[in-house]
Amino acid sequence: MLVIHRSVVLATALLLGMSVIDAAFAQKQGGILKMYHRDSPASASIHEEATYSTNIPFMGVFNNLVMYKQDVAQNSLESIVPDLATSWSWNADHTKLTFKLRDGVKWHDGKPFTANDVKCTFDMLMGKSSAKFRKNPRKNWYENVTDVAVNGDFEATFSLKRPQPALLALLASGYTPVYPCHVSPAEMRTHPIGTGPFKFVEFKANESIKLTRNPDYWKKGRPFLDGIEFTIIPNRSTAILAFISGKFDMTFPTEVSIPLLKDVKSQAPQAVCKVVPTNVSTNLIVNRDSPPFDNPDLRMAMAMTLDRKAFVDILFEGQADIGGTMLPPPQGVWGLPPEILKTIPGYGPDVKKNRDEARKLMQKAGYGPNKRLKVKVSTRNIPVYRDPAVILIDQLKEIYIDGELDVVETANWFSKVARKDYAIGLNLTGNAVDDPDQAFYENYACGSERNYTKYCNRDLEKLFDQQSMEPDMDKRKKLVWEIDKKLQEDVARPIIFHIHAGTCWQPYVKGVTVMVNSSYNGYRYEDVWLDK
Amino acid sequence: MTAYLVRRFLLMLLTLAGISVIVFVLLRIVPGNIVDILFDAAGFVDPADKARLEAELGLDKSILVQYASWIGGLLRGDLGFSYVSEKPALAEILPRIPITARLAGLALVFSILIGVPLGVISAVKQNTGLDYALRVLSLSGLSMPAFWLGLLILMAFVAAFGSIPIYSDAPKSFWDSLVMYSVPAAAVGFRSSALIMRLTRSSMLEVLRQDFIRTARSKGASENSINYHHALRNAMLPVVTVIGIEAAFLIGGLIVTETVFNIPGVARFLVEAIRWRDYPIVQNLVMFIAVIVVVINFLVDLLYAALDPRIKYSD
Amino acid sequence: MQTVDYDAELARAGAHVEGRWSAARFLARRYPLGAIGAAIMAVFVFAALFAEFITIYDPLATNSALSLAPPSAVHWMGADNFGRDVYSRIVYGARISLAVGIGATALGCLFGVALGLLSGYLLGWVDLVVQRLIDILQALPLLVLALVMSAALGPSLQNTIVAIAIPLIPYVARVIRANTLALRELPFVEAARAIGMSDLRIAMRHVLPNTLAPLIVLATAQLGSAILTEAALSFLGLGIPEPFPSWGRMLSESAAEYVRTAPWLVIFPGIAISLVVFGTNLLGDAARDLLDPRQRS
Repeated sequence: MLVIHRSVVLATALLLGMSVIDAAFAQKQGGILKMYHRDSPASASIHEEATYSTNIPFMGVFNNLVMYKQDVAQNSLESIVPDLATSWSWNADHTKLTFKLRDGVKWHDGKPFTANDVKCTFDMLMGKSSAKFRKNPRKNWYENVTDVAVNGDFEATFSLKRPQPALLALLASGYTPVYPCHVSPAEMRTHPIGTGPFKFVEFKANESIKLTRNPDYWKKGRPFLDGIEFTIIPNRSTAILAFISGKFDMTFPTEVSIPLLKDVKSQAPQAVCKVVPTNVSTNLIVNRDSPPFDNPDLRMAMAMTLDRKAFVDILFEGQADIGGTMLPPPQGVWGLPPEILKTIPGYGPDVKKNRDEARKLMQKAGYGPNKRLKVKVSTRNIPVYRDPAVILIDQLKEIYIDGELDVVETANWFSKVARKDYAIGLNLTGNAVDDPDQAFYENYACGSERNYTKYCNRDLEKLFDQQSMEPDMDKRKKLVWEIDKKLQEDVARPIIFHIHAGTCWQPYVKGVTVMVNSSYNGYRYEDVWLDK
Repeated sequence: MTAYLVRRFLLMLLTLAGISVIVFVLLRIVPGNIVDILFDAAGFVDPADKARLEAELGLDKSILVQYASWIGGLLRGDLGFSYVSEKPALAEILPRIPITARLAGLALVFSILIGVPLGVISAVKQNTGLDYALRVLSLSGLSMPAFWLGLLILMAFVAAFGSIPIYSDAPKSFWDSLVMYSVPAAAVGFRSSALIMRLTRSSMLEVLRQDFIRTARSKGASENSINYHHALRNAMLPVVTVIGIEAAFLIGGLIVTETVFNIPGVARFLVEAIRWRDYPIVQNLVMFIAVIVVVINFLVDLLYAALDPRIKYSD
Repeated sequence: MQTVDYDAELARAGAHVEGRWSAARFLARRYPLGAIGAAIMAVFVFAALFAEFITIYDPLATNSALSLAPPSAVHWMGADNFGRDVYSRIVYGARISLAVGIGATALGCLFGVALGLLSGYLLGWVDLVVQRLIDILQALPLLVLALVMSAALGPSLQNTIVAIAIPLIPYVARVIRANTLALRELPFVEAARAIGMSDLRIAMRHVLPNTLAPLIVLATAQLGSAILTEAALSFLGLGIPEPFPSWGRMLSESAAEYVRTAPWLVIFPGIAISLVVFGTNLLGDAARDLLDPRQRS
C-alpha cells in the first residue's frame, strides 16, 4: 500500500557515493568560515522572515524533514534527500505523506527531538497552535494540508485535501526548518535553537552573527568547520574591498553584482566566483482596475514596448535571463522553452516592430506624440528596484508615456500596493523553490495576498490545480508551459528579466555549491571545509 | 551666581523636555511603523496578525499614553525594548557608545593637534603665501563631504596597501586597533581641524592686536615668546568653547563615516533605527545626544563665566 | 553692533568708488580668495541656468552600449552604469544642489529672521518661547534633525529643502536676535519709538535692514552647509530620489558599487560638491571680512 519514493533510493545511492568521495578528498577539520553579511536581518527566526538575509546565516542552525541535496546545484523533486526524516512515503491516492523520523537527535539545548516537534512546527505555520509567530509569511504554502498527526515519537503524517506531490519541494526549502516545541517564537527570534550542524552563539544587530560547531550533531563527522562568523557590512564596495584584501573567506551569497565581479576578478584573480540565477524576477505590477491601465490595449502596449535585452545589457552586462513566470531553462526546471517564449507578444526579437505595434495600440486609445500619457512609476527606494525603473521610464517614452519615478520607502511600499495606490509598480518576486505550486498560487491565484494586481482567471486557476496534482513530470511541464504562456499573454504581471548574481570565495574554501535555481535553499554549510 | 546656575539648570531641563516632545511627535509623523516594515518584508499583511503585533508593542494606544509611558520609564531608568531585536534598548545602545566615543575622541585629538598649530602659524604669518595656502587648505576641509573623504581614503588605502581597515570587535594588536580607529577618525577630524584652525587664526589675530601684546613687544619680548606665550594663551578661550560644542556636533560626520567604514557605533545605529522605525532606540538615542549637547553647552557657559570676568550672570 | 554704510566702508578701505564695476574690481583685488569663490559660484550658477545649452546628452537617457564607459573625448566624465553621461548629470545636478542650497538657506533665513526679530524686538514671553524653541532645535545635531525630518516628509526635492531648512532656523534666529537686541538700544530706534512709530514698523523699517549684514554673512556660510547636508542625506538614501541627478545620490550609488571599476563615478560628483561648497565658503569669508566690522583689521 505504501509506495516508497524513488528519490529515497536515489538519495541513498548518492550518499553512498558521497562517502567514497569523502575518503578520497580527506576534508580537513577546523577553522572558522568568515563571511560578510549584506544587512542586519530583522530576526533570527527563519519562519518569520521572507528574506535570505535570515536564511543564509541561520539555515545551518536547523534541519528540515527533507532537504535539497546540498551539493546538487539544480533543485528539483529528484534532488530531495532525507534530513530529520529518514524516509517518506505516499499513500496510494497521494493524499497522505508519512515521514519516518531520525532517532537520537538532540536539540542544541540537550532536549530530544521527537515527532511532536514536527507537529508543533507545522501547526504553528498553519496558525493552529496557541503559540503564534509575530508574522507568518508562508502560511499559504500549507493551504492544502489539513492536519499533521504523530504516530509515536518517530513518525509524522501530513494529510492533504488533494494530491500535491510538490509539497515535498516546499518542505525541502531552506525556509522550512523544524522548530522545537519547547522554545517560544520570541526566543527563536533572538536565540534560535535547532538540531543542525551549527549552534547559535550571538547576533549583534548591525554588527555580527556568530555560529559555532555543534559537537553533538547527529550526522557523524559533520560539520567540518569550527564555526561561521558573519560581519554585517551593508556598503557593498566596502564589503568587496574587504573580501579582495583577504579579510573574508567568502562573500555574502548572490550579493556580488556583475560590475563588482569584474572588480573581484581583476583584484583577486585567485578567487572562485559563480554567477547563477537567483530565481528572483523583476516584473511590473499594473493597476488593472483604474484608469488608464484598466484599458487592456494600454497594458498590452506597455508589455510590447519593453526592450528586455536592453535591461539585461545595462544592468547585467548581458548576464541575466529573459523568460516568463518560471525561471527559464537550463537552470530553471519549469521555464518556457525559447521557441514558445518568442511567440508571446513583446518577446519577439524585433523591438522596433513591437514598438510600432505598441504605438498603434496607444493611438487607438487616443494618445500620440502631442497627447502623451503621464503616469507615475512607483517602486521601492532600493537600488535593485530603482535601477530597472529608471530604464523602464526611458523605454516608456517611446510609446508616448511620460513616466515619473515615485520612490516609496520600504515602510510604505506594501500598504501603497495593497491600497492599489499606483499605476505601474516595479516589483521583485523571489521564488523560494523552483516549483510552479509556489509561484502560481502565491502570485496569480484569485484572492492570494501576494497577488498584488488582483489578476483573477478562474479557468486558469483550474489548471493550477491540475498541474499541482499531476504526478507525471512531463505532463506537468506541458501544463505549466500552457499556464505561463497565458499569464504573459494576459499581461498579468509582465516579467522583465530573471536576475543573475555572483558568489565568490577564496580558493581554500571547499565544498561550497551555489544553487542555480533558488537563493534560499543552499546554506546548510555542513560540507564546507577550509583547505588551509 | 547660584541663582544664575539654578536658572540655567532649570532652563536646561525645560529644553530637554521640549526635545523629548518634538522627537516623539516627529517620529510618529514619519509614515509607517515597525509593524508595517516587518510585514513588508513578508510581502503581505494579515490584518489580525498586524493588530496583534501593534497591541503587543503598545502602538495601538493613544499617543499621549505612549508618551507618558516612555517618559515614565525613562525616569525609572527603564528605556524599553528595541522593537527589532527585542532586547532591552539600554543593552543595545550602551555597548555601542564607547565605540563612537573612541572615534569622536580620537577625531577631536586629531583636529586639535592639527588645527591649533596651523591656525597659529597662519595668524603669525598673516597675508603671506603660507597663510593663503593654509586658509585654502582649511576651507577645502570644510568643503569636502565627510563620506567622500572617507571613500577617497579607502580607495587610497587599497591602492597603497591592497587592504582596508575593517572594524573588528577583537583587534589582534594595539596597532590594529589604532589603525582601525584612527583612519576613520582622520576622515571625521579633518573637518573639525579645519574649523579649529580658522578659529585659532582669527582669535590669534584679534589678540595680537591688543594692547598687552604691544606692551610686551615694547618691553622687548621675543616674537616667539609673544606669539606662543602671551597671545596663544589668551586666544584659546573661544577656541575651547568651540571645541566643546564641536565635540557634540561631530555626530553628523560620524553618521556617514561610520557608514563608510562600517563601524558599529551609535551614530550608524541611529540611522538604522530610524529606517526601522524602532522608536525606543531612536527616542532614547536622540535624547542621549541631546543631553550631551545641552550639558556641554551648560558647562561651556560655566567655563566662560568662570574664565571671563566681563560676562555678567544674567541671561 | 553698528550699522553699515557700504559705500562709506569701501571708501574708508581706500577704494575709489566710481561705479559698480570699479567697486567689483576693487573688491576682487582686496579679497582675491573671495573673488575666486565668486567666480566658482558664477560657473555653477551659469551651469544650472543654461544646462540645456552646455550639454549634448539628456542626463536621464539610458544607453546600454555606454554602460560604465570611462571618460573620453565625447563623454568627458564617462558614463554611469545606465550609460547616462556623467558630465550632463553633473551640470544638471548643479540645479538640484543650488536649488536645495539656496532654497533651504532662504527658507531657513526667512523663518529665522522672523523668529529672531520677534524674539529680540518684542522680548517678554515671545522671546522666552522662541528662545526655548531655538535651544531645542539647536540641541539636535543638524544631520540628525534633517534625517528625521526627511524620513517624516518623504523623499522629494521640496521636502528635502524643508528638512534642511528647519535645522537652519535656530542658527539664524539666534544671530538675528542678538543683533536686534543691540539695535533696539541705538539712538535712531529710540527716536523712532519716541515719535510714535509702531513696533512692527520699527522692526521692519529700521531694525530689519540693519541686520542685513550679519544675515548675508550667515547665509553664505549656511549655503555650503545646506549643500553638504543634502549630499549626506542623499548619500544615506534619503533626500532627492532618482532619477534626478543629485550629486550626493550619484555618489551614494557609485560608492556602493563602482569605487574600483569606475572611479570617475566617485571622483567627479565629489569634486562638484566640494568645489561648489568651497566657492560658497570663500565667498562667505569675504562677505564676513567685508561686512562684519569686528573682523576688519
